[in-house]
Amino acid sequence: MEFIASVIAIAVAYQALRGYNLSKERTLLYLNLSFVLIGAGLLVDGLSDLIVLLARGERGFLFVFNLGYTINFLAQLLAYGLLVFAYLYQTRSPSSIALAALPVMFIQRNTLTELILIFLLVYVATQTAMNYSANKNVNALLVFGAFASLSIAHLFFLLYILIPTFFPLAHIAQLFGFLLLLAMLLRVNQPA
Amino acid sequence: MIPSGQPQPQKVTAKYRSQFRIYVDIMHVIQRENNEAKPTRILYGANLSHDRLIKYLDELKALGVIQETGTDDKVYSLTQKGIEFMNNFRKVESFASAFGFKI
Repeated sequence: MEFIASVIAIAVAYQALRGYNLSKERTLLYLNLSFVLIGAGLLVDGLSDLIVLLARGERGFLFVFNLGYTINFLAQLLAYGLLVFAYLYQTRSPSSIALAALPVMFIQRNTLTELILIFLLVYVATQTAMNYSANKNVNALLVFGAFASLSIAHLFFLLYILIPTFFPLAHIAQLFGFLLLLAMLLRVNQPA
Repeated sequence: MIPSGQPQPQKVTAKYRSQFRIYVDIMHVIQRENNEAKPTRILYGANLSHDRLIKYLDELKALGVIQETGTDDKVYSLTQKGIEFMNNFRKVESFASAFGFKI
């Protein structure tokens, strides 16, 4: 699942880079960097899972699983922080831009940082929801759906510590979010 | 220095179009006019002064995205490169707007 999500994230990053090369609009560069981080994090996580799977879950390899998950988590923390920065940058509000740097101060994985990540995702989901309510566009709806789904996925990742059933649900919600982004990409690139 | 007590003028925040955005607006007007637009049409459509319009049209011609046709009256049309640029721009604009970003 992580590999599929990673490929979709890199495809979104590539589209954002094409947009930046054409328009030199900085928000698209931030969007590109954000999805590069998300894609790289998911790829590392997927690879670490694969290594553990190939080692048939031997105890010695479990640190690889934890390392992969931690790298993915930190990459996502920075990525969503960058995305929040992109939204704040668009409003050109210097005081609020400083808020986006907040995740960097908590660069370690614990329940607090998990909550910060969910907060960042909810912020981005709210922005995309506002965008959809303003222009009632199907692509905007898909992006909103994607970030709402990713927010739910991370909430499930947090809850799975208490209830293990949430672990597969979190992965399904995460994949669903990235599939919505893929649908948006395909719609954007379809010939006129 | 403005003496205290007097009402200060409100800060006007104007958002200027980037050069890129003006290029796109001009090309969009040409495309909208069935790829044959007279300068007056472009002037009103892209909301530009005459001097700035001439400057930007020259720049776009130098970039090879528009061409001047017509003998008596000047008419501007998009070149193949210009049409491809507009197709790419539309995709990028649609992508950015899906995230709520303006370009």
